[in-house]
Amino acid sequence: MGSVGLTLPWEHKLSSVARDGERRVEPFEGKTEPVRTSEELSQDAVVAAACLSGNLQGYERLYQWQGTRMKNLARNLLGSQADAEDAVQETFLKIQRSISGFRGQSSFVTWTFRILVNTCHDLRRSRVRRKDKVNQDVDALPPRMELRAPGAHPSLRMALERALGRLTAHQRDVFLLYEVEGFRHAEIAGMLEISETASKNTLFQAKKNLRTMLEPPRSSATGGAQ
Amino acid sequence: MNIHCDDRERIFLEGSPEEWAALEQHAGTCPVCAEELRAWKQLSTAAEEMRDYQESPTLWAGIESSLRQQQAAPPRKSLWTSLDFWRHILPAWQSAFVGAIVVALAISSSYLYTHRAVPPMDPGNKLLKTTALAEVERTEREYMSAIDKLAADASPQLATDTPLMASYREKLLVLDSAIADLRVQAGENPSNAHLRYQLLAMYQEKQQTLQDVLETKR
Repeated sequence: MGSVGLTLPWEHKLSSVARDGERRVEPFEGKTEPVRTSEELSQDAVVAAACLSGNLQGYERLYQWQGTRMKNLARNLLGSQADAEDAVQETFLKIQRSISGFRGQSSFVTWTFRILVNTCHDLRRSRVRRKDKVNQDVDALPPRMELRAPGAHPSLRMALERALGRLTAHQRDVFLLYEVEGFRHAEIAGMLEISETASKNTLFQAKKNLRTMLEPPRSSATGGAQ
Repeated sequence: MNIHCDDRERIFLEGSPEEWAALEQHAGTCPVCAEELRAWKQLSTAAEEMRDYQESPTLWAGIESSLRQQQAAPPRKSLWTSLDFWRHILPAWQSAFVGAIVVALAISSSYLYTHRAVPPMDPGNKLLKTTALAEVERTEREYMSAIDKLAADASPQLATDTPLMASYREKLLVLDSAIADLRVQAGENPSNAHLRYQLLAMYQEKQQTLQDVLETKR
């Protein structure tokens, strides 16, 4: 095994078979950024209208549509399943409280995820504060990842999780939203209130940093670069 | 398309599909680019490992119950949101109302200034001593600086063209005007603790307003 410390086992042959509903978006696979279909856009409008009407079924549709994705992002931002579920629940309550303020300037999903990301950050700050770590820069603290069900490449995921913990909070947000959740830069820009160019630059910087962190030591990399 | 090693990072940042294809082709003959390209792709593959879209069987039930409770509970209204009628008033009346508040604040400030208590014998009672004054001024500067930062955070939200934000902007204008008046008076009479308390109250109102603005963003 040629992996040491945070080193990714680069020599592993990885399957790139996409799971159902996944839209990986790298141009080198012959794809561009995911384009929202008219079906998705109309679903967005329907769910937004249902929530605006105060009907709880609207929230249930939102949950069925985006709930697992919301929980996954929250889990990757917060590091624990329980915290992620708290964040998702709090997000739904915030949506209900402020739905009258939704003006449709962004898509409803973008608006929802903006609330979710802010909620996760608030939750992290409050949890850290409760642990009397007020003197530390809480945004810089990496989430502490708990164990979860192994995937096809558990060592790869663990190495990446640890390396993500060493990125800035901003780089982590953009990487998770783009690479893991498959959002477009335009959507990420709306969620994080940055420009599209800033989102692209942040992702590039995040990946460069991760590349450096996960690079195999030169001395043992001889077999890994074929 | 002719691609060189120097183009690699630019393509990683914002390459078009054609440029990516050209880079792939170039990597076929360049081991350094081939390795970099492979490592770059591996990051995306590794990221897929962080996707775990499993259902939580009880999560929706908990959310639904909380949503029902919140829906059934009477809405929590802050002082400012309870003034919702403000949005429905004609702009001319809004301006008149704001003007009336400014006048009222100016009159009350000047009344307080002219009728201020000036204890002649016990300066420690109502007048601030020199050391205490320095402390107050330093704290006030820090507080103002913190509020300025808050204002900077809220400014994108305030700049949005909605009736609610227009109301907040007007309220902040009134507060800034009152703060400016009080600061002038406090500057003329720096040891008057009463003026300082009034100023503090205005700062607190401004802070609360800015927090309300930021809250609407969420």
